[in-house]
Amino acid sequence: MQMDVFLTSPWIPAEWIRAHGLQPRGIWSAETFQHGPWPLSAGVCAFAEAAVRFAEARTNSAVIFSTACDQLRRGFDTAILRGQSRAFLFNLPATWQTAAATQMFRSELERLGQFLLAIGGRAPSPEVLRQDLLQSSRTRKRLLESASASSPRGFAEAVARFHWDGAFSPLQPAAPTNHIPLALVGGPFLAPHWKLLDEIEAAGGRVALNATETVECSLSPTFEFEAGANHPFDVLVHGYWDNIIGVFQRPNTRLYSWLKPRLASRHVRGIVLWHFTGCDLWRAEAQTFRETFGLPVLLLEASGEPGAAPREINRLQAFVETLR
Amino acid sequence: MNTSPRKLNLDEWDDRYEQLRRDGLREAGYGGPLRRHVVREKDFRLQQLQFDNSPAALRLWNFLLTENERLHQARANGHKIVGTMKDLGTVPVMAYALPGVRAFYPDGAWWTPCLMECSDKLLQQAEAMGIDASFCPVRAMLPAFENGEHFPQPDLLVCSTGAVCDDFSAIAQRLEHLGHPIFWWEIPRRRQPAPGEMACALPGNLAAPKIQVDCVRTELQRIGKALGHLAGKTLEDDCLAAGIRAANQARRLLDSLRRTVYFAPAAPLPALEMLVAEMLAIHFCSDREETIVVLDGLLAEVQLRVRRNQFIVSAEAVRIFWVNPVADLRAMNLLEELGGRICGSDYMFTHALDLIPENLPPLEALARTALADPMVGPTSDRAMRIVRECQAGHAEAVVVSRIPGASHCAREGEIIREIVRQTIGIPAIELEIPPVCDALLPSLGSRLQALVETARDRRTK
Repeated sequence: MQMDVFLTSPWIPAEWIRAHGLQPRGIWSAETFQHGPWPLSAGVCAFAEAAVRFAEARTNSAVIFSTACDQLRRGFDTAILRGQSRAFLFNLPATWQTAAATQMFRSELERLGQFLLAIGGRAPSPEVLRQDLLQSSRTRKRLLESASASSPRGFAEAVARFHWDGAFSPLQPAAPTNHIPLALVGGPFLAPHWKLLDEIEAAGGRVALNATETVECSLSPTFEFEAGANHPFDVLVHGYWDNIIGVFQRPNTRLYSWLKPRLASRHVRGIVLWHFTGCDLWRAEAQTFRETFGLPVLLLEASGEPGAAPREINRLQAFVETLR
Repeated sequence: MNTSPRKLNLDEWDDRYEQLRRDGLREAGYGGPLRRHVVREKDFRLQQLQFDNSPAALRLWNFLLTENERLHQARANGHKIVGTMKDLGTVPVMAYALPGVRAFYPDGAWWTPCLMECSDKLLQQAEAMGIDASFCPVRAMLPAFENGEHFPQPDLLVCSTGAVCDDFSAIAQRLEHLGHPIFWWEIPRRRQPAPGEMACALPGNLAAPKIQVDCVRTELQRIGKALGHLAGKTLEDDCLAAGIRAANQARRLLDSLRRTVYFAPAAPLPALEMLVAEMLAIHFCSDREETIVVLDGLLAEVQLRVRRNQFIVSAEAVRIFWVNPVADLRAMNLLEELGGRICGSDYMFTHALDLIPENLPPLEALARTALADPMVGPTSDRAMRIVRECQAGHAEAVVVSRIPGASHCAREGEIIREIVRQTIGIPAIELEIPPVCDALLPSLGSRLQALVETARDRRTK
């Protein structure tokens, strides 16, 4: 049986894990990732804390943390201190416009490969990697093509499934409604939070763009082989590196460039900024979203309960009402 | 005239200043009575502080409190101003290697709400700009950039990113969105070299993989080009090497000062002045040469006091190692009022205290120094240095001071306290200190008192 390798960020290439004969899993797609109230202490990001606790409990699996945020970076320190030996910290550069950053991403992938070998993975064959990249690219493309026409919940579930086992789940087109189109933008969107999409519909809104970290924008890596000349590892590196859309990037203009046409084409009238307690990176963007896109922004805090907390639903309802 | 060391409040300093003047005190151009900073700059917090009574301390305070004024003057004199953010100690060494360039940390605005007792309203203005109280007080720099009432607008703004605090990174990104272009450079999270991997020794008994050092060196090279462009002069290696030697001169002085004060049987200089003196290391308070003079004066003063067996805090005081800078300077006075003294510190920039290697190509040396930043590596590395310095300074307790809203504070305290307890078994506590801590003084005081009592109690066992 293949060992599960849980990824804390969609920007750590799952295809690279599979090429080593191991099973990549988006940690956010795991049903057991978090149940019940968040175990919070002052200033700690709820998602990072859940990742640390998950790593502690799953000693037969590996967990790949990323440096995309300080909280996960330091969460890794805690996981190591608590004895998780199959944890790896992937240095994801924040800058993206220099050769040094590209080189760092590439070398981190090589280092990750060494780690995967050390925990029982096999040396990746270029052909296996190539086939996996092509398959992954097709699935990503199919999912993206159905993004705007599918039901918000169905799409979120299908993307989560893709991050869980790489599979494509056929999507049903959404029934036309006159609900107010909204964008859901922000941090990781976990299975218990899918209910929020129903709650938004019940409030009279509809998520026309799910730009949380783990849903639509997480599909942006694309892998193109030019007449079979490229080495699959190079295609993997550039497929990810050239397409990362992260709030953590500096500058984070790629995020804005990605959002702008989609907000317009999907006629979005308001942004719900979804964030975890203690997440500075997303919360700090609220005002810039307002200024850049000229849209109202509602900050909504992720809770440990399914969907949103009652107080948050109340705010959501009021937000949608103001947009009618 | 020989005056015993003691602490003075601002009123007492007025008299002391007059007396020093009568006795022929010679001051730098930025000198004057401390009171004027309250009157002119609205630095009201000075009225709540206790200061060392030496002319050397007076010079230190005047140097610190005139920084913005001196920067404006430098701008008027045609100097180029570089705002360097977050790296705490590396880029300024490069900037000061070029003639006519001064670097400062806009991050330093985090002390403005404290000094002005929030009368500046910077924190409220930051909230109106989308950065609320859940972020670190460094958010004060946002409105300071916008209103121009504090530091001058930099000609170049440089910020390290990657392995940095989320709150700072988010605030800096907000700043850029507001129209202040930023030159971002990557500082990767430092890691241990893997077995067989090419490794480099770093200051502070650390090591990093060569590939990380190469990455940082390449980034510093980019910065060097930008600085050279600004200065109209290429930043050549010999120039940078001279800059490193000058920076090391300040670092050597600071090292002597720290050793003299922290290892003395009793404290010859208060914790507050030591905190300010240590801060000079990161960007020389916008004047490298004067920093050396100020530190020289302080060192001479404490050496004299030690020779004379004159101290400002008694030998009975509990020896405390302090982690992280305090948002309210008053906290350093409080510790001493409650029977503690500082015997070691990690104010988040120990890499700016360590000597920069002079036997390496200059950019390589700076890259290694930047990677030795305690905030970019594993918290356990930082904790182990704290442990070593606790042992060297015979610390009896550790205080980890939390900075409100700072992302690194969410976890590091727990890890540091755990490692300190496991390795040397001394008590450690965490305290959160807001920019003006008056309302929390009773609870802060009782926590510190409990720590001091616990540490004292351990002496008798």
